[in-house]
Amino acid sequence: MIAATIEIGGVGGALASEVKARSGASPMSCLQCLKCSSGCPVASRADLKPHELVRMVQMDQREVVLASRFIWECTSCQTCITRCPQQVNIAAMNDALRVMSRAAGKVAPETTVPVFNDVFLSIVRNRGRVYELGLMASYKLRTGRLLEDADKAPMMFSKGKLPLLGPRVRGRDQRREMFRRAAEGGNK
Amino acid sequence: MSYLFFPGCSLDGTAKDFHRSTLAVAAKLGLELPELKDWICCGSTAAHGTDPLLADALPAKSLSAAGGNTVAVACSACYSRLKTANHHIAGDAALRARVAQVVGVDYDGGTPVLHLLEILCRDIGRARIAQTITRPLAGLRVACYYGCLLARPPEITNFDDAENPTLMDQLMETAGATAIGWPHKTECCGASFSITEASIVLELTNEILSMAKAAGADCIATACPLCQLNLDMRQRDVERRFGRRYNLPVFYFTQLLGLAMGCSSSELSLASLVVEPQGLLESKGIGR
Ligand code: SF4
Ligand code: SF4
Repeated sequence: MIAATIEIGGVGGALASEVKARSGASPMSCLQCLKCSSGCPVASRADLKPHELVRMVQMDQREVVLASRFIWECTSCQTCITRCPQQVNIAAMNDALRVMSRAAGKVAPETTVPVFNDVFLSIVRNRGRVYELGLMASYKLRTGRLLEDADKAPMMFSKGKLPLLGPRVRGRDQRREMFRRAAEGGNK
Repeated sequence: MSYLFFPGCSLDGTAKDFHRSTLAVAAKLGLELPELKDWICCGSTAAHGTDPLLADALPAKSLSAAGGNTVAVACSACYSRLKTANHHIAGDAALRARVAQVVGVDYDGGTPVLHLLEILCRDIGRARIAQTITRPLAGLRVACYYGCLLARPPEITNFDDAENPTLMDQLMETAGATAIGWPHKTECCGASFSITEASIVLELTNEILSMAKAAGADCIATACPLCQLNLDMRQRDVERRFGRRYNLPVFYFTQLLGLAMGCSSSELSLASLVVEPQGLLESKGIGR
């Protein structure tokens, strides 16, 4: 069983409060035990390791945090939250930081994850389901990474892994409305 | 017992072999898996990394149409998104109201969601499955790889032990194979970074493949389309980058179970695997 967490209230700056309000994660509870970074699959390549990122949030370092590459390299593997003795939900915190980073125009220039996410979601909005060929083609066109993995498509065709025609689920207008209302926060 | 099946987008594309082998195994067990009508994409990492409300609304849209039935899921990424949305919506009345505004239906987060592994091991049970095994996978040493999202976080998925899950191991043992002990059952493969930052996937899958090899595995069994694709389709790239030779076939667990139940390789779409499994299977006397 997980031991009871230690409640730490009444501290934290604007960034920690905003993260908490958006994601429910409590960065102020972190004890800097490093369990998260020890198990994180991408910590070894990160500009800020998970425990460092949490500390930066505690210290209200908005610029550094929103511009960090790490928030885009987190694979959302949930290892940190599963092991954290203080139940700091770094995976959820990173989701909130991604949204904030985009809104502030601070996205690390090396990452193409936001483009991928946009392409993915626009296919979901229009068709209801994603098909890999359409996803890869749009992503490559948007990023100009046309030659990367050029050997993969023919092999995937021959293995029957890339159907040419994507599926379509009825109710596109309804889905567009759903996406619009979600963007407005579900208040309309 | 009946369930409504949520195949998820990958099972109609890169993971059609997972789809076919799931239905083949279900048929052998008399398990009906009609599809949940008009299901839509779970939103995956793209949704929760872009708009958390949308990430709960997309699963709510599909799950609210289940009419009280249990939803069966094969892809562990979909499983994670559907269960996470249920957890959020059932535990937060204000969020439930916002999701209702977005979806246009008040969904209470109560549609039960089960992974195929849970259905096979817990609802159907190993005793019943053992009766359908006609070609035991004797001598096949399988590294069962669960990936991130089945067992984590345990408060949400409530699947199995978060650090050492065994449901797939139990199934493989029932199929007559040897499920080897190894420490990378729940390490991350890099998931959709396969497209955006392949170097992450190459590093992580190298760790997984090399540990499976060191533990004496003949092959790997997976329960996730992204894990399977990363370990199988990128295996040659990994071997080139790190100067290693693994040659480890990467099956869906349903393909191995189906083989043990006597299904043909075409029923299980074994030809879709990139690392050829035929040599290994023939060497163990379970070719076709
Ligand atoms: S595991 Fe939790 S308490 Fe420990 S450093 Fe990471 S976030 Fe802080
Ligand atoms: S969820 Fe992100 S931060 Fe946490 S361990 Fe996984 S990759 Fe690291």
